[in-house]
Order: sequence, then structure tokens, then C-alpha cells
Amino acid sequence: MGIVIAVISGKGGVGKTTTTANIGLGIAQNDKKCVVVDFDIGQRNLDMLLGLENRVVYDMVHVMDDGIGLKQALIKSKISDNLSFLAASQTKDKSVLDSEKISKLIDSLKKDFDFIILDAPAGIESGYEHTIEFADKALVVVNPEVSSIRDSDRAIGILDSKSKRVKEGQEVDKFLIINRINSKMVQNGEMLNSDDILDILSIPLIGKIPEDREIVDASNQGKPIILSQDSQAGQAYKRIALRVCGEKVDFVDVESHKESFLQKVKGIFS
Amino acid sequence: MTFPWFGKKNSAKTAKDRLTIAIMSDRSNNSFPFLDELKAEIIEVVKKYIDVKEVHIQKEAEDGIEALSINVELKK
Repeated sequence: MGIVIAVISGKGGVGKTTTTANIGLGIAQNDKKCVVVDFDIGQRNLDMLLGLENRVVYDMVHVMDDGIGLKQALIKSKISDNLSFLAASQTKDKSVLDSEKISKLIDSLKKDFDFIILDAPAGIESGYEHTIEFADKALVVVNPEVSSIRDSDRAIGILDSKSKRVKEGQEVDKFLIINRINSKMVQNGEMLNSDDILDILSIPLIGKIPEDREIVDASNQGKPIILSQDSQAGQAYKRIALRVCGEKVDFVDVESHKESFLQKVKGIFS
Repeated sequence: MTFPWFGKKNSAKTAKDRLTIAIMSDRSNNSFPFLDELKAEIIEVVKKYIDVKEVHIQKEAEDGIEALSINVELKK
């Protein structure tokens, strides 16, 4: 039976969907069968980041409400055979979600995949509660800034009281991903460092992702950054994906600012 | 002694202090997302016997002991 992992955040725009796309692909490249599901009904985006927007015929609402088979709705990634994708509905709104139907959908995905990654709406939006309801684990994405961290604490609070697992007396393991770390600002004391954030939120860390200009380029092309061997952010996602699969991977310090000679020279001329 | 025009800004420290306090207060206020349901159910139960006007629920913490104090206000 597969493991259900919800990718959550407090506010929107912190990189949840980018994280889902990259970690999903990372897990698939690690020889595990993985499906990424876009739960952000009405704000479909995961298809773009995976480069699959032209191949969406049926979405999850078709599967839940219109009797379309999962096999028809699931889209296989061109990049990895192990990765499948289920689109969010773009025309409906979040009120179409219903616990019983979601439970059924997730149960059938669990039979076919090792990992089911759910891209949740932001924690303050409706639809969030439905996404976390059946999660076994959660990856909490934050940016090192006050509003993101504060809101994520509330999203964690909702997870800890509304998920099915918690209601049954079990726990949902939560892991923190700190995204968009600007090492130079951290060094200058202008940005919260990871130790501070961990102190405040008190959940274990699963990865730190440096700010990376290549991310925009990657989403422009619909090719997740994890495919880029020389991107720091891509390598950080790769490490997180391996940790999600249960492998022990050493943490890399992405907060100390190191500028190579070449970067320094570039800096002078830019 | 620090010279603000030379030294680092160090606003990260300010952020941490402010966040710690804000989140502490958020947690004590929002620690029960099921608060409304709890209130409604208590009203239902008590209403079988006496008329209820309102229910106040508060979380209190003292000496490491956490408690829920529930005050049921009756209709006159």
C-alpha cells in the first residue's frame, strides 16, 4: 500500500507546487512508483510545471463524479515512466470536494503507487482540509519570512486536529522544507536562518532549498529543476526526494554564502 | 556598542522574536479548530435539561497543567 504525503503551506506562493513537481519526479527517478495529484481545484498549475498541460483530458472531478476510470485520467510523465499525474479541475471550485469520494480515490491510488503526493491548496483556503484528511505524512513548505512561517503554524494546527489519522489516535508526521533561502541575506542577519525557523515551528527538517534563478526558467519550460545537474535547488530537491524514500542523505549547508571567483567577476559586471 | 550605519542590520533577530510571540498567541487562541463544534454539542446536551444562553470555552495553562474551562451561561 502506498504512502500518502500532502505538500502543505500556510499562505500561497511559497513554492508548494514546484516542490510537489520536483519531489514527485525525484521519487520516480529513485525507482519508486509515484503519482502527484493536484488538489488545488480551480487553480490548476502542477500540469504546467510538469510540462503536461496539453495532455490533460480528464481531471480528478471527472474521476470522482462522472465515472471516468483512473487509468483514463492518469497521465504518464514523458520524463519518467514511474511518474503519473492527476490534474485538478479547472472549471469547478473547491466546494466539489467531498470526503467520501476523496477517500475512494486515494484508496485506489494507494493500490497502484508507492507514493501519492498531494499538492494542497494554501492552508487558509477551503479545500485544504480535504487534502490533508487522508494524509499519512506532510511536507510543510515555508519561506524564511514572517508571514509564511506564522501561517504555516496555523496550517499545521489544522492538520493536527482534522486529519483522519489524528482522529484515529495516530500522528501525521510532519517535515519542514525551507524554500528560497538567500544565503547572502542569512549571513548578513537579514533573513531568518534554518535553526531559528526550526526553533519556532518545532518540527523536523527534511530539506533546505536555496533561492535559484533557474527555477523560473525551469517552470517556463515545464521541466522541473531537479533535472538540472548543476542547479543547487535541483540538487536540494533530489536530496529531499531520497529522504522521503527513507534513505539517509547528509544535509548540505546552503546557508553559508560562498561565491566562486567566477561569480564574483560576474557580479562586478552585472 | 553598535554603529547602525556600519553594522549588519540583523533584522532576522527581530523577526524571530516577533514570530515567537505571535505564534505563541496564535496557538493559545486557535488551539481548538473544533471549538465551534464542541460549543454546539455542549449546548445541545445541556439544553435537554436547562435553557442555555451561551457557552464560553477557554484554555488555561498553569504550572504545566493544561485545562479547559467551560462556562455555561443560562437563560434567565
